[in-house]
Amino acid sequence: MFELLFKYPMAVFSRGTFVFLGGWPSWMLIAAIVAAAVGLGFLVWRMTAAAGRIHGLRSVAVWILQTALASILLLMLWHPALSVATLRPQQNIVAVVVDDSASMATRDADGTSRHEAAIRVLNSGLIDQLQKKFQVRLYRLSDHLERIQKLDQLNASGASTHIGDSLKEVLADASSLPIGAVVLLSDGADNSGGVDLETISEIRRQRIPVHTIGFGRETMAHDVELSDVEVPQRALPDSRLSAQVSFHQHGYAGQTAKITLKDGNKVLAARSVPFKSDGVEQTESILFNAGAAGVKTIQTSIDVMPGEENAKNNQLTRLVNVDKRTALVLYMEGEPRWEFKFLKRAVEDDRNLHLITILRTTQNKIYVQDEHNDAPKLKDGFPTRVEDLFQFDGLIIGSSEAAYFTSNQQQFIHDFVDRRGGGLLFLGGKDSLADGGYKQSILNDLLPVVLPDRKNTFVRAPANVELTNQGRESLITRILEDPEKNAEKWKKMPYLLNYQDPGQPKPGAVVLMDGLPLQGGRFPLLTIENYGRGRTAVFATAGSWRGWQMQMPVSDMTHEMFYTQLLRWLVSDTPRRVVASTPQQVLEDEASVKLRAQVYGTTYLPASDATVEAHLLGPAGIAETVEMRPDPVEQGTYTADYTTPQAGSYLVEMVARRAGEELGRDTMTFRREDGVAENFKVEQNRELLQKLASETGGRYYTPADAQKLGQDINYSEAGITVRETRDLWDMPVVFLLLLLIRSGEWLLRRKWGVI
Amino acid sequence: MRLRSVFWLVIAGLATWGVLRAQRPFQAYSTAEEHAEYPIPEGAYETHEWTRARLAYPSILAPHGTPDGYKRWTIDYPRSDRLLLKGIKRLTRIDARSSEQVVFLDGTDDVYNWPLMYAVEVGYWNLTDDMAAQMRDYLLRGGFFMCDDFHGTIEWNNFMASMRKVFPDRPVVDIDNKDPIFHVIYDLDDRFQVAGAQYLFTGRRYEYDGYGAEWRGIYDDKGRLMVVICHNMDLGDAWEWSDDPRYPEKWASLAYRIACNYFMYDLTH
Repeated sequence: MFELLFKYPMAVFSRGTFVFLGGWPSWMLIAAIVAAAVGLGFLVWRMTAAAGRIHGLRSVAVWILQTALASILLLMLWHPALSVATLRPQQNIVAVVVDDSASMATRDADGTSRHEAAIRVLNSGLIDQLQKKFQVRLYRLSDHLERIQKLDQLNASGASTHIGDSLKEVLADASSLPIGAVVLLSDGADNSGGVDLETISEIRRQRIPVHTIGFGRETMAHDVELSDVEVPQRALPDSRLSAQVSFHQHGYAGQTAKITLKDGNKVLAARSVPFKSDGVEQTESILFNAGAAGVKTIQTSIDVMPGEENAKNNQLTRLVNVDKRTALVLYMEGEPRWEFKFLKRAVEDDRNLHLITILRTTQNKIYVQDEHNDAPKLKDGFPTRVEDLFQFDGLIIGSSEAAYFTSNQQQFIHDFVDRRGGGLLFLGGKDSLADGGYKQSILNDLLPVVLPDRKNTFVRAPANVELTNQGRESLITRILEDPEKNAEKWKKMPYLLNYQDPGQPKPGAVVLMDGLPLQGGRFPLLTIENYGRGRTAVFATAGSWRGWQMQMPVSDMTHEMFYTQLLRWLVSDTPRRVVASTPQQVLEDEASVKLRAQVYGTTYLPASDATVEAHLLGPAGIAETVEMRPDPVEQGTYTADYTTPQAGSYLVEMVARRAGEELGRDTMTFRREDGVAENFKVEQNRELLQKLASETGGRYYTPADAQKLGQDINYSEAGITVRETRDLWDMPVVFLLLLLIRSGEWLLRRKWGVI
Repeated sequence: MRLRSVFWLVIAGLATWGVLRAQRPFQAYSTAEEHAEYPIPEGAYETHEWTRARLAYPSILAPHGTPDGYKRWTIDYPRSDRLLLKGIKRLTRIDARSSEQVVFLDGTDDVYNWPLMYAVEVGYWNLTDDMAAQMRDYLLRGGFFMCDDFHGTIEWNNFMASMRKVFPDRPVVDIDNKDPIFHVIYDLDDRFQVAGAQYLFTGRRYEYDGYGAEWRGIYDDKGRLMVVICHNMDLGDAWEWSDDPRYPEKWASLAYRIACNYFMYDLTH
């Protein structure tokens, strides 16, 4: 229909440039149209004045129609045309890229696989059409691009789909070959996160249109798919962890399925969840215990529902490195008090937290408690050397005024959080926060709250507690697994014996728990934030012992769990001097992995002059050592690319040395899994294919209209082209328009009885 | 009265009741010993970080087991308490209230607001089963109990009769000299029997057959002392008489140091 009216295919209009071939300047056309409009206006006015039968709006309508008619005629006199680049026949190459990944083997509603549908489209004349005008190069696409000679070399067996990387390889060919266009036949089920902007920009720069033909259903009729599972990459032994399980489904809205977390055959956690509406992305938080030190392979699965079309996308694997380490927390307390005693008791059963305390017992005495002899240099009190403070992972400052610390010590504390990446917790008390003069110290910067400008903020009066919305989601305040029951439990807890007004949370800080004084009002009781490389928190009371311990039955573990979880949050992300990491811990049908090590000296300044080696142990006795190179941009960071020879789990130990002395070492694991990626996101990703086509000047086609591609593909600015002009004056739509205008005027005049 | 007024009165009443339930306020009681009278100190009604509680218990001498029988629990009270608290404030950084808090094992939650409890003359106490159960609960939740001023075999046996109701199976042991409780502030390796004020009149340091001081205690499952027992000594008198020139300074001094260490031990363990 479009071509019937406009003479040329739409591609000509979308890719062509409008020009006048008449030779007269364009301004003369505008002047002529204006003159015609004025002249016609004068004539219509004279006619109205003489006959008086057409007046008012009717005369305006007549003038508009006549001016439009004159304008179109004048426009045609200037000889309008489209200038469009077309590929020279037989001199260009068209790259036909066929997705040959396993997802193309998916059978859709008509029982035909996408692979078969793609072959059918190509064999139904499309290839022949293309071959008449161009040389056609066939490629198969999966995790890489490969040239093929015949379509029967396609078998839909590729382990994954990397459209972006494959297009880059086509572009590389285009630098030496006259590739005029790319035809991509795919379901768009890309496993590499889509086509990046860099690739799109490069395609646009080379002006190669990518025409896409999409296969497969855009939504499955009956399917549940795990989209993602987020777990912490590292944890302390016996940590309570949260797995954020994201999933969506079609065809099972309102039904219930069970999410199960396993480590091998051991069930770590399981919970039934109701499905929301079809296609809605749901995220559920499942709590589990990290258990003993070692690598945990967390297999998350969701029940396979009756009649599910794809049962292979119901489970995902993630790794958690449970570090065999003990976190050291230094607690500096200025005043003997019961919160000190009960905090110590609350965390004493945590084998992976060692609390070392310094208490000012008298005006000239301190009492150091270091049960495991972790910090023998603390005999004289709070550390006076930065290295001595930086051996700790966390720091608690109780009721001890800011002035107790020397300016050097205050700077160390600041650097402890900012540079070393430690966690700092301030507790309420008569010498804490605003009452302790912290607003005037450099430590004020570290606080997640804006302290009040007044003193006497510590109030010895009862206060209840209530979780905020963020507190309901936080693991720090999670005593009961069910968030609603947990929030109710906190509401019903006996009140705190005292509280401190900490002021208002700073931007970026998160309030997990509000305090509700019995006299009225509300204040942020537990506020946390990230600061520099570390974390800070304010717990604005010294009276949790009363409500959450002494007033509770012996069997109640609220106080213990609260402080344990708070201190674990404080220290669990505190880095060591060597931190090993990788962007992906599970490689799904990927072979290459980027290894990364951040290396610091004793004062946690980046160590750029270290020698770093990665020792890898893999499946089937693989043992390799990889030299890591310093990152040219990021100081103290060392990287290496490693290609895994086969699927399985890999253990990496990164060791940093400087001048023969070991700076530190860290271990991590990753896992390569093959045959997984193509089980996920098997619906047609039409959005990706459409966007890829529109961004590159191509067009998206369904298999039904793919034959039009043979004509559209001619218009391209890539390869060897010739610029052609296409007349527009003789388009049928022009004559139709002229006829309509004249007929319209005639019909109006007839209606008005002025013919 | 309009309905709204009634509503607000009820709310105000509940709020007041709630505040009072937080911690019972200071209250003075009459004492069995006239010479132990002492004026209510300044700041007695203020709230502070730390308060030493004195347990009011029923005596075996009381006809019906009520605390108000023969008030054994008030021996040395309140002079002993208030002089001791002055010393604690002066010698340590504990933000101590100037007045003691009398507590009862009465089945209410109030006793749990005072995690350190002292009792005197426990050779005469007579806890009921309910009281013993509450005391056990108090100690297992984290409370600390110090008792003093009982002497000889008979009083020990009577003390143990009630203590066995509290902890039927936990052993009472002599506290080793190396235990932190004797070193947390002062190193108290060389302790001696602290005699009561009766020494001033009899010249005898012991009472009944309690010839030597016994520093005993009951540990919890984590190896922390939760009950400390000062048998065959009278620290209460030492605190009470510490400002009397007739009372030997070294006994008063040791009594204060013992108290400082015991209280600090509680706050650090």
